[in-house]
Amino acid sequence: MDEIPKKPAPADELPDTWWYKVYAAVMVTTVVVILALWGFTNYFSG
Amino acid sequence: MRHLDWAVVVAYLAYVIWDGIRLSKDSGDPESFFLANRSLPWWAVGLSVMATQMSAITLVGTTGQAYSDGMRFIQFYYGLPLAMIILCVTVVPFFTRARVFTAYEYLEKRFDAKTRSLTSFCFLMSRGLGVGVIIAAPSVVLSIVLGWSELVTIFVIGLTTTFYTMFGGVRAVTWTDVKQMVLIFFGLFVCIFVIVSQFPPTVSITDGLHLAGALGKLETIDTSFDLSEKYTIWTGMIAATFLFLSYFGCDQSQVQRFLTAKSVGQGRTSLLMSAFLKIPMQFFILLIGIFVFVFYQFVAPPMIFNAVEANKLQQSAQYAPLQQKYDAAHAARSQAALAYAENRDEQNRAAYVAAHTDFAKTRVEATELVKSTTGATNFNDVNYIFPTFVVTYMPIGILGLIIAAIMAAAMSSISSELNALATASTIDFYRRFFRPEATSAEFVRFGRFATLVWGIFACIVATYATNLGSLIEVVNKFGSFFYGSLLGVFVLAIGVRRARGRGAFFGIMFGIASVWITSLYTNIEFLWFNVVGCVVTVVAGYLISLTVTDEPGYEVPAN
Repeated sequence: MDEIPKKPAPADELPDTWWYKVYAAVMVTTVVVILALWGFTNYFSG
Repeated sequence: MRHLDWAVVVAYLAYVIWDGIRLSKDSGDPESFFLANRSLPWWAVGLSVMATQMSAITLVGTTGQAYSDGMRFIQFYYGLPLAMIILCVTVVPFFTRARVFTAYEYLEKRFDAKTRSLTSFCFLMSRGLGVGVIIAAPSVVLSIVLGWSELVTIFVIGLTTTFYTMFGGVRAVTWTDVKQMVLIFFGLFVCIFVIVSQFPPTVSITDGLHLAGALGKLETIDTSFDLSEKYTIWTGMIAATFLFLSYFGCDQSQVQRFLTAKSVGQGRTSLLMSAFLKIPMQFFILLIGIFVFVFYQFVAPPMIFNAVEANKLQQSAQYAPLQQKYDAAHAARSQAALAYAENRDEQNRAAYVAAHTDFAKTRVEATELVKSTTGATNFNDVNYIFPTFVVTYMPIGILGLIIAAIMAAAMSSISSELNALATASTIDFYRRFFRPEATSAEFVRFGRFATLVWGIFACIVATYATNLGSLIEVVNKFGSFFYGSLLGVFVLAIGVRRARGRGAFFGIMFGIASVWITSLYTNIEFLWFNVVGCVVTVVAGYLISLTVTDEPGYEVPAN
């Protein structure tokens, strides 16, 4: 079934701990963006 | 449209075809044709992920939705960053390291051939019909605003996309997606600039936002917990998260995007690009709809934006008095808006809100009149608002640019989906069951043939979808029946060690059945179907798996 040649996967150069920091940054940014939107709504609707 | 606008549209179409053919030189083997040799940079993959998700109807419908319902729709995307993180931790490394061509190929490694075939078949059916709707929806709108027949519009969009996808494979899809996203962003920036420049001299952008805010158009958070309400923070944070997990992690049209990335890290970064940009981008698109709304506070909007239905309405005896009433209501609202923009006190605000309420009532009357005269009970002209505005008020050249951007949005989704349909057909069925011994060249030839067949199939579906409005709903519902269960089977595969093939296969069946029952006997909004389908598939799949006695020496395949 595996007639199609597949090239080996390159090594993932960054450790998991680095990614966890990135994920934390994404979540913090998301919270900040949602709070900014809430502020935007309140400012212009008030 | 003037000659320069037509020239811009034709130049765009000619360029994408030329670009697809140019990129076909490097797609002679399956790794290259289906996965671009897993060599694409994260930013190109990331833009392709975003372009695939943003169809023309997203662009046109979202601006229209902001015009009529405000910015509430943005809540739908609040769960997307969390979904992307979960996918980066789970499926991106699993699929990339498994060196699979399709998401469903992985299910055979973990479970069995029947589970792989069932999920791939569900994908082919729902996406095959879905891509027809993705062609149909903008074609209906563009045919009216451009004055083309629907058939011509469908085949121009559908076959042009099929052509470059067929020759160029995933490499052409991705690189045209990148250019199409640049065109879309540029078009939208120009559009927002043109709209704002057409506000009355005494009305600033801030004034415009205060006008929209006074009418509740800028609501971005609704905390009410109501399962029959489509856009609340809870549907966005919970139900839509399940939808995004399923769409970006289990739907081949998206999985194939990150499989083309150079490494696990590049695949992760491409998804995180959406996590960072999607909410601001959606806000920006909704803001365009808000600015169109503000513009129409001072310039009379059509009573009905769908020109075909508006023409039919003019035959009615009730049309003339209603139009007079509508014009008077608009004039009163316009005065009140100017007064409120000049002096934002409570009195002016109350007068403006009251004038808008009167105006909105006459528009509802017009909509009801269309329903009663044409018999179209589900009539809704939200998708016509933005194209009508563009065709009527955009300057020469810019109009062509915006129409090209709308076409680009349609084509970037269609191309990725046709490519994914061709990949699943070739890898999960042709190679798996019919010609496992075929050469690389044969697989690519079949992949191109499958792209053509799916392209023609999608165009045919699109011609029916334009005539049967309810078909769009049927296809969307069919997709939501399947998405939660698909997510459930991948949760079983990756997260439940005791899960076995029989459990996964029947778990999907139970999941789909549970969603079907939920849709029949409750009024829960369809976004929650994804939660129901996923939970039932996982629970049923796990319980059924407990009944399976493993062969001696059986080991769960390593991920």
